[in-house]
Amino acid sequence: MLTDEVVVRTRDLTMHYGSKVVLDGIDIEVHRGEVVALLGPNGAGKTTTIEILEGLRSPTSGLVEVFGINPLHASIEHRARVGVVLQSWRDHGRWRVREFLHHLSILYAPFRADDATWSVDALLERVGLGDRARSRIASLSGGQRRRLDVAVGLIGQPDLLFLDEPTTGFDPHARREFHELMHELADTRSTAILLTTHDLAEAERLADRILILDGGHIAANGSADDLARSVAGATEVRWRVADDRFVHSTDDATTFVRDLLVGDPGVTDLEVRRSTLEDTYLTMVARAANPTFVEETQ
Amino acid sequence: MNRISASALRAGALRGAIEFRNSMQRPSDLSFYLLGAISFGIALWFLRDQEIPDLGISVAVVVFPTAIAIIMLFVATYGLATLVSTEREDGTVLRLSILPAGTLTYPWGQTVRTLLELAFTFAVFTVIATVLVPNVWNQGWFGALTALGFLILGVFACLPLGFILGSIFNNPRSVGGWGFLVLGAIVYASGIIQPLTELPVWIQIIGQVLPLYWLGLGLRSALLPDGFVGAEFGESWRTLESLGVLGGWAIAGVILAPLLLQRVSRRDSFATLAQRRERALQRV
Repeated sequence: MLTDEVVVRTRDLTMHYGSKVVLDGIDIEVHRGEVVALLGPNGAGKTTTIEILEGLRSPTSGLVEVFGINPLHASIEHRARVGVVLQSWRDHGRWRVREFLHHLSILYAPFRADDATWSVDALLERVGLGDRARSRIASLSGGQRRRLDVAVGLIGQPDLLFLDEPTTGFDPHARREFHELMHELADTRSTAILLTTHDLAEAERLADRILILDGGHIAANGSADDLARSVAGATEVRWRVADDRFVHSTDDATTFVRDLLVGDPGVTDLEVRRSTLEDTYLTMVARAANPTFVEETQ
Repeated sequence: MNRISASALRAGALRGAIEFRNSMQRPSDLSFYLLGAISFGIALWFLRDQEIPDLGISVAVVVFPTAIAIIMLFVATYGLATLVSTEREDGTVLRLSILPAGTLTYPWGQTVRTLLELAFTFAVFTVIATVLVPNVWNQGWFGALTALGFLILGVFACLPLGFILGSIFNNPRSVGGWGFLVLGAIVYASGIIQPLTELPVWIQIIGQVLPLYWLGLGLRSALLPDGFVGAEFGESWRTLESLGVLGGWAIAGVILAPLLLQRVSRRDSFATLAQRRERALQRV
């Protein structure tokens, strides 16, 4: 359930690696029960942002608060409230799946009520690894390993969950189950979720809000619909008159098509296509990279 | 805080047991421990007929405590440093550092694992020595139990060096090169190969700051006949000093290990980790 309680807050967050500016004054807010997707091209600073919020990196400047505390100085109790799914773990390969998760669950035990629906075995079933409980982690496929990563992120029943490209290597079925799990967390447990992804359909389906990060700035911030609306000509209309093809972008496709059909009875092959998040994303990134270019094409 | 520490200790003990089981199932690890025990066993076999004229006792009896001290240093320091640097590279340390009380769980887990591995190695080595060397237990049960006490204290005293080396070198290949040199120097400066009294004074000073000299001294005091005390400083076993220095290193380890790990995990990040992993793969 989405609430007003702010769980993650950054103000003017800036990160330099040497002379390279990765983040240049980023403001982010994530609320309790909100699912926020962080999109952006490779090297846009998505992983850096997540690492700063986890307290693994110290930002060059700016304010960072997670549950009202600077994550660099997080206490043990604070850590226990945050679940983390990071990219490409290669550790604990010789451990068995269940014993690894059990080992982690012991560390979280003092902070969590005993809840059978969150037991190690229940969680393994939830992520579809019930039949691999005794397998060595190194023997898992890429997708299975990723599902184990998700289970690791959830074992502490977190109030806040960071996921860095969580569904890489998932098959469509696993992906859908993962989406259901995330919705359930946000809806019934009011877990705040911040995830990065390259899968725009996933961002659209999962996220209450999408942040597009590009060139160290936030290029866009809003729901998938908000973002589509903010790009001029959100809908594309194509048609043919005799042998001539036409394309027109419009905000109000209904009125445009009505006028078009009334005005010209020779219209055939009419096609109305609402812009996808992908179109929006590409426009947003292009606009942030080169504002003048986008102005001209509009 | 109590419940948190208790569960960190429980998780660490489980961790140590699982890691020990894993290394027993890995031929390369198993042969590392067996090879140490067996090669020192062979050395004892060759030395067992050489007697020290005045004392009527086999040289092998004298070498026995030395061999134990060296095995201890290699498992508790070299082995641990290799493991810590390997687990920095594969992300284990980083993973633990973002878990609640993970920076306590990790060193405690490594300590438990090292204790189990030493117990295994020493069990093998002790059986070999008992069979091959007559008179090896010339000081009876009291001597054997004193030696065991020094060994347990010695593990905790040697582990801090392992954590320090493991956090200085960020990959196991450097530990294999530089770490080996450092350990060789420590063995030399600790009067393990030849009496410390015969070495230059500045080496004597360094040797007596490090734990290995005191572990060797304690083991000799427990396992050798009293006549051997003549080769030591001041012709004394200096038992209280041994306990003091070894205890000091053990306490330093308890304080230092979690701090070193926090420092290490703050310097390592996932980006640098990925780079290092790629470089490591290129080398293979």
